[in-house]
Amino acid sequence: MNTFSRRDALKSASVGFGYLAFAGLSTWAAEKDNPLAPKQTHFPAKAKHVIYLCMEGAPSHVDTFDYKPKLTEDNGKSMRGARGFGGRLLASPWKFSQHGRGGLWISELFPELAKQADELCLLRGMHTDVPAHSQAFLQMHTGLFQFKRPSMGAWALYGLGTENENLPGFATISSPFQNGGPANYGSAFLPAVYQGTPIRTAFGGPAGPGRPGAGSAGVSNIRNPNQSSDDQRL
Amino acid sequence: MYEIDIEKGRKFWAFQPPKKKAPPAVKDTAWPNGDIDRFLLAELEARSLKPVADARPRTLIRRTYVDLIGLPPAPEEFESFVKDYAARPQAALAEVVDRLLATPQFGERWGRHWLDVARYAESSGRSINFAYPYAWRYRNYVIAAFNADKPYDQFIREQLAGDLLPAKNDRERSEFLIATGFLAIGPKAHDERNRQQFSLDVADEQIDVTFQAFQGLTVACARCHDHKFDPIPQKDYYAVAGVFRSTETCYGTIRVFLNNHPSATLSLPNDAGVTMYLEPLTTERRAEVEKQIQYTRNQMTQITGQNAFLRRIFMQSRVSTLQSQVAQYEADGTSRPLAVGVREGRFASDSPLYVRGERSQPGETIKRGFPRVLTTEQPAIVRGSGRRELADWIASKDNPLTARVMANRVWLHLMGRGLVPTPDNFGANGQTVSHAALLDHLALSLADNGWSVKKLIRSIVLSRAYQLSSYFDESNFEADPDNVLVWRMAKRRLGAEVLRDTMLAVAGRLDLTPPKGSLVARGGEGNVGFRGRGSPAGDPVATDTHRTVYLSIVRDGLPELLTLFDFPDPTLIIGERATTAVPAQSLYMMNNPFVIRQAAALADKLLAGDGDDTDKLTRAYQLCYSRPPSEEELQGARNFLENYGQKQNGRSTWAALCQALFASAEFSHR
Repeated sequence: MNTFSRRDALKSASVGFGYLAFAGLSTWAAEKDNPLAPKQTHFPAKAKHVIYLCMEGAPSHVDTFDYKPKLTEDNGKSMRGARGFGGRLLASPWKFSQHGRGGLWISELFPELAKQADELCLLRGMHTDVPAHSQAFLQMHTGLFQFKRPSMGAWALYGLGTENENLPGFATISSPFQNGGPANYGSAFLPAVYQGTPIRTAFGGPAGPGRPGAGSAGVSNIRNPNQSSDDQRL
Repeated sequence: MYEIDIEKGRKFWAFQPPKKKAPPAVKDTAWPNGDIDRFLLAELEARSLKPVADARPRTLIRRTYVDLIGLPPAPEEFESFVKDYAARPQAALAEVVDRLLATPQFGERWGRHWLDVARYAESSGRSINFAYPYAWRYRNYVIAAFNADKPYDQFIREQLAGDLLPAKNDRERSEFLIATGFLAIGPKAHDERNRQQFSLDVADEQIDVTFQAFQGLTVACARCHDHKFDPIPQKDYYAVAGVFRSTETCYGTIRVFLNNHPSATLSLPNDAGVTMYLEPLTTERRAEVEKQIQYTRNQMTQITGQNAFLRRIFMQSRVSTLQSQVAQYEADGTSRPLAVGVREGRFASDSPLYVRGERSQPGETIKRGFPRVLTTEQPAIVRGSGRRELADWIASKDNPLTARVMANRVWLHLMGRGLVPTPDNFGANGQTVSHAALLDHLALSLADNGWSVKKLIRSIVLSRAYQLSSYFDESNFEADPDNVLVWRMAKRRLGAEVLRDTMLAVAGRLDLTPPKGSLVARGGEGNVGFRGRGSPAGDPVATDTHRTVYLSIVRDGLPELLTLFDFPDPTLIIGERATTAVPAQSLYMMNNPFVIRQAAALADKLLAGDGDDTDKLTRAYQLCYSRPPSEEELQGARNFLENYGQKQNGRSTWAALCQALFASAEFSHR
């Protein structure tokens, strides 16, 4: 095979400088101080990955995993000191009971999951400075809503690095446009290499029938509109 | 308890006034073009280092064009320069510099540097993203200011206190008001429920941008506690906070769902020659909108049942949006000239110190004033907020930081590394100055030359140091790998704007006329987060052919091209952009339709031209790299045309070749 392909042209154009980032990447690989190189943890770690599902719009914590007997007791009372609100407290209509050897409180909505109670670890200490979705969402991902700060994923990648040289160390699927949007997976003042790589349709939201960009989900610019997949591999 | 010692703090070099020093003597007296070079060479000689050779003329002219106007020279321009340079190098360069400084493209390039620092954007960002439809006027003001070579001290005064300056006429009044947009375009959390918290946050953001932009100091750190590194006590923060809390910030926005803090906008004088961008409102259209408002209002009164409360909120939002559409026009249907900016608040008063920055814990009241470490004289604020006094003090020759910080910014953009490498932080936590005497020399000449930024740029570009090649030199590299001593010119990647503008320019598709307004302005008031889900046809990067500086800047909603190529986050104050190399950049250059389209346009341009393949290839290399191709490159390209052309038609073949030229490192660096 002695054809001069498009890829050859890209490689050899301009005195074989190669393309920009591939050149950059190979330099990286050669460099000892690759910013994404895996780093030693302070303590031996059992976890291999961090998978974080942010399920916005799920049922309320007080109906599922956050047992609040005081709330049941105060059902119907007005909310004292709730700034600007004035609503009344509403107890969960679901019954809670303890499960497993650890006695984890789980509501009757999850009878099957409750059987696995000893496999779960629940953090019930989450708190928001402002009772509003948008700020709380951003605060949960970055620690603060007032100022721009690196996201949890960016910190994890910064602190741990990644063992995979070919794929992004921090990817985010169907990332939000609202509630701070990219700030939720951004790197803020950390170098941009630590920001999350969004994987989604070109126009946001998960791919699906009837949605714009359906079927073209994934990393942007991975396909060339003028080339078949086979040609692109050449 | 540890107390900050202001007196001791004043001894830090950056808080001492710049000192005039005679340039040092150098051994190689033939090398320097002027004082800048003497300062640099003396340091090099002290370490027995020598600067590398001068850049080749075609490298030099491309560098000068890119640095001054953000566009490459046309082939005819660089060829005539190369000839001229051979005969009289310095005079030839000086002529080019003067010509470029006088083009409108200069302000578009250098104004953008300032917009990075001014965290310019057309939306609020933060948790809920509301449009600031009039913010673009500030962008145009900045571009015009650099083009007019507005004295830098005046530029400061107008941005901080333009509303309080005496204006000659309505046109100037408009300009001054628009300038204060600097204080209004910052990120804001519009869904904050507490009014006082919101106003404290707005003032905080204004303090942050004012001091980082003009003073290279992170004063905002002292909101909650004494500054940990710089001699700025919490008291000094609240002395400045009083000034901004006595100011009313007019950023606009309307009362819709999740916006708890709509504000006024500034009305500019009519007939002041400000750019209008909306078609007049017809009587029919007005009647139609008013009918819709009435209809929605009627419906609101009739809502009952479940979720009535929520539905009413959304209907109120609709009414506000419709009203805002009409509010952009005068009674006769012509559009109203509106802007964002600031004006004096209804009350001027000192601010209490808030313990730990908590609004629930007000402490002693702090008299309005300036950070004590920077001045021994506090202002007498007799009337108003004190903003005018603050602006005058920052814009003064006696301020130890103002001229230094700006001179350093200019140096950074031309030389690739600041004399203080942390341009927004001259404090204890910033990096140390490499050439203190040179920085003072530049600062003093900026102030003494009528604060002319153009003159400062001119003097740096005409230095011998600027004209160095970026060649590697082993012994220099060993001694100074970071090129701190400037033994060569730093090679740098083009920023996102230059990259896009250059592709459009060589493809012959760049429209140099500034557009009127901006996309956000045309979109009107509302939540831009909801608008993010556009269609590909609506992607402005793909279809717009104006210079990139005019693309709409929506916080957390930047076009892909900009984020990929290190455009700064417009929520942060960024004096120096990062340069990252990630695979997504090459994917963009290889597969993005915008790049493909420009490559095809360049191919069409070449094919429409005269000459054989060699002529066309030469033309392509000249356009893209400001040089002819080498023999080897010509041969490689001819091979490609032949082989690739067996499968594809001529146009596709040439387009692929042009795209390869775009995707190279030589294209994207200077």
